[in-house]
Amino acid sequence: MSIAKMSKVTLLAHQTDKKKILELLQQSGVLEISDITEQLATEEELAGLLKQDDEQEAMQEVEKSMAEVRYSLDFLDRYHRVNKGLLDDLLAEKKALTITEVKQKVPQWAELSRKVYQTLKAVDEQLLALRNEETHLLNLQKQLLPWEKLPLALEEIKDSRKVRLELGTVPVSQLPVLHEQLQEDEVAYYLEEVDSKRGEAFIFLASYIADDELVQNALKQVNFNRHLLPRLTGTAAENLAKVEQQLLELEKTREQLLAQIEAQVQYREILYCYNDYLTVQQDRNQSVELLGRTDSTFLLEGWVPTAEVDRLRQKILAVSDSIEISVREPYEGEDFPVQLENKPFFTPYEFVTNLYGAPNPYGVDPTAPFTPFFIIFFGLCLTDAGYGVVLMLLSALGLKKVKGESVRNLLKILFACGISTVVFGWLVGGWFGYPLFGAPLLFDALNDPMRLLVYSLALGLLHIFWGMAVKFITLIKEGEIFAALADVGLWYGLIIGLLLLALPGTAGLGKNLALVSAIGLVLTQGRSQPTLIKKFFSGLLSLYDITGYFSDLLSYSRLLALGLATGVVSLTVNTMADLLKGHPIGYIAIAVLLLGGHTFNLAINALGSFIHSARLQYIEFYNRFYEGGGRAFKPFRFKTQHIEILSEETQGN
Amino acid sequence: MLGLDSGLLYAIFGAALAVLLAGIGSAISVGRVGQAAAGVVSEDPDKFGSTLILQALPGTQGIYGLLVGFLVLQRTGLIGGAPAALTVEQGLAFFFACLPIAIGGMVSAFAQGKTAISGVHLVAKRPEESGKAIIFAVMVETYAVLSLLMSILTLFGIQV
Repeated sequence: MSIAKMSKVTLLAHQTDKKKILELLQQSGVLEISDITEQLATEEELAGLLKQDDEQEAMQEVEKSMAEVRYSLDFLDRYHRVNKGLLDDLLAEKKALTITEVKQKVPQWAELSRKVYQTLKAVDEQLLALRNEETHLLNLQKQLLPWEKLPLALEEIKDSRKVRLELGTVPVSQLPVLHEQLQEDEVAYYLEEVDSKRGEAFIFLASYIADDELVQNALKQVNFNRHLLPRLTGTAAENLAKVEQQLLELEKTREQLLAQIEAQVQYREILYCYNDYLTVQQDRNQSVELLGRTDSTFLLEGWVPTAEVDRLRQKILAVSDSIEISVREPYEGEDFPVQLENKPFFTPYEFVTNLYGAPNPYGVDPTAPFTPFFIIFFGLCLTDAGYGVVLMLLSALGLKKVKGESVRNLLKILFACGISTVVFGWLVGGWFGYPLFGAPLLFDALNDPMRLLVYSLALGLLHIFWGMAVKFITLIKEGEIFAALADVGLWYGLIIGLLLLALPGTAGLGKNLALVSAIGLVLTQGRSQPTLIKKFFSGLLSLYDITGYFSDLLSYSRLLALGLATGVVSLTVNTMADLLKGHPIGYIAIAVLLLGGHTFNLAINALGSFIHSARLQYIEFYNRFYEGGGRAFKPFRFKTQHIEILSEETQGN
Repeated sequence: MLGLDSGLLYAIFGAALAVLLAGIGSAISVGRVGQAAAGVVSEDPDKFGSTLILQALPGTQGIYGLLVGFLVLQRTGLIGGAPAALTVEQGLAFFFACLPIAIGGMVSAFAQGKTAISGVHLVAKRPEESGKAIIFAVMVETYAVLSLLMSILTLFGIQV
C-alpha cells in the first residue's frame, strides 16, 4: 500500500547514441521523460548552442506513412466492415513479436502498406469516376425514357428551312383543346402522341415556321412543356439500350473494383501491425522534442521508479561508454509522478483508485485500505447468492479467455465481489430471489430491513473509523503525534461518546467522553490561527464538522436500499413467473421471463453496486485522509494495440 | 365495482403513482441521454459502451418506482393472496409511503439525466475519463436511493 519512490535521472550523451538510447528507454518502459527545453532555454550560457527540430524529416516521413496506413484502414473499414461483437475486442489476442522480428518485418510491412495504399487509392479514384459516369448515364436515361417510342432518330429532330419541330408534354386533358385551337387557327400541323404517363401526354408536333406564332400561342394555352433532347445519333430506344448496356458494364467494373478491395482485406492485420510500429516511431520522434539538444550532444531528464534505477543504468551504460548519468531523489516537496505499488491481491483495485485520480505523491495510496470494504459493500448491495455465483462463473470464464491486463483486473475485482455477494446473499438474501437452501442463515433482509439498516450503518461507522485510523497512522509515521491525537483521537472520542450516550447503561460514560472530547476539539482545532480569539472561534466552529460525519454515516443506508432493490426486483420477476404457471405455453414463457428478468436485474444492479461501492470510498472514505492532486506516472514505452513487442534481454546490438 | 374497499383504492393509487412518476422521470431522462449518446456514437462507434452505462443510470428510478409499487401490491395482498380489507387510514398510509419515491424518484431522474448528458459530452472529449462522468451522475442517484429507502421503510412499518 504505497506510492512508489521515484528518482530523477539526468542523462548526457552523444547525438550518435540518441537513437539507441531512446529505443532502449522505450523498450524498458520505466522512465517518464520530463520536458527540459524550457528550463534550458533560460540558461544564458547555453544560448546559441541549443538547436531545435532536428527530427523534422524523420517525423514527416513517419507521419506520411501513418497517413497512408490510416487511409487504407479507413477505406477497408468502409467497404468491408467487420462486425465486431462487444466481446471481440476483449478476447482479441495481441500478436507477440520480439524486437528483432519486428525490425526484420518492417521493410516488408512498409512495402506492402505502400502497395495496398496505391491500389486502394487507384480504386478510390476509379470508383469516383465510375460514380460520376453512372450519374451521367442515369440522367440521360431519365431524359430519354419518355421518348422511347419516338420513331425518329434524335439527330433528325431539328428545324428544317420551313418546318419547325416541337417535343414536349401537355396534360392529357388539354390534348383535344390543342387540336381544336390549331384547327381553329387553320394551321397545317402534324401532331403525334408518342406516349402518355401520369396524365402527361408526350407529343411530337411539326408545323410550318410561318405559322410559328399561332402555334406557340396555342401551345402556351395548353401548358406545353418543351423537352430538349441530347444531341445523339439513333432513336431514343437505341440510345436507351446503349445506356443500359453501359450501366451494366459499369456495374461489372464496380464489381471488379470491389473485388480488388476485397483482395486487400487480407492485409488488414499487417496494416494494423505496421500502424503500431509507426506509432512507436512517432512517439520516439516526438520525445526528442523534450530533450535538450546541441549539435553533438543531448540531455535527457526523467523520472524512474527508484527500484528500477540500477537496472536501467546498467542497460544504458551498455550502449556506449561515453554516457553520463546522474540520479537524485526528489527535492523536498517536489512533485513527482505517482505510481501505485501494491501486493498482487490489491493491484486490480488500483483501477478503482485511478478512476478517481492519482493521490498526492506525498500522500497515502488508498487502494489497499479500501479494498476489503469495497468487496464487502459490493456484496451487500447485490445480496443475492445466485447472482454472486453467476458473477464468479462469468468472471472466471473471462479470466481464462481475456488477455488484456486492464480487463483482467476488472474481472479479478468482479470475482472477489462475486464471492462476497454469495456470502451476503446466503446470510440475508436468497438465491435468485428464492430461498433455495432454506431460510437465510442470519435473517431475511426483506422481512427485517431495520436490522440490516443498523448493520449497514454500523459497517459504515467501521469504514469511517478505519479511514480515520489511516490518517492517525500516517500522522504518527510522520512524527506528528500531537496532531494525530488532537485531529483524529479527539474525534474518535466525540463520536464514540455520542454513540454511548444513545445506549442505555453507558449514557453517563458517553456524556463525559463526548464532553471532554468536544472541549479538547475546541481547544486544539484552531491552533493554526494567529490570535487567541480566532483560535477559539475556529476551534468552536470545528465542532460543526460533526454534521459531516453524520451525513456520511447516513449515506451507508444505500447498502440496505440497493440490497433490497435487488431482492424485490427478483421477487417481482419470480412472482410474475408464478402467475404464468398452469397455462399451456406457460413453461416457455416462464423460462424466458426468469432468464431475461434475472439477467436484467443482475446487470443493472451489479453496475449500481460497483459504482456505489466506489462512491462510498471516494466521498465517505477519502474524506478522512485522502489527498489528491497527484499525476499518474506515464512512462515512455511502446503503445501498441495489435502487437505485443517482447523485450529481449539478451539483445546483442 | 371490484368489491374493493376505498382504503385499498388509495393504496393502489399510491402504487400507480410510484411506478408512473418515477417511470416518467426515468423514461424521459434515459431518452434524452440516449439522444446525446447517439450523437457521440455517430462520430465514434467505440464510445458505445461508456455512453450506454451513462444512459442506464437515470433508468434506476423507474425500477425503484416499480419496486415500491410491487411491494404495495404484495403488502396489501393484491398479488399472491386475497386483498386485505384496509381502512381509509391504512390506505392513505400506503399512499403517502409511495410519495417519496414517486416524486423524489422523478425529480432525481431528471437531474441525473442532465448530469449524464453532460457526462456524455465529457466522454466525447475525453474518453479516458468516463469513470468520472459516471461518478458525477451517481452523486445524484443518492437522493433516489434515499427516497426509495424512506418509501420501503414506511411500507414495512404499516400494520395490515
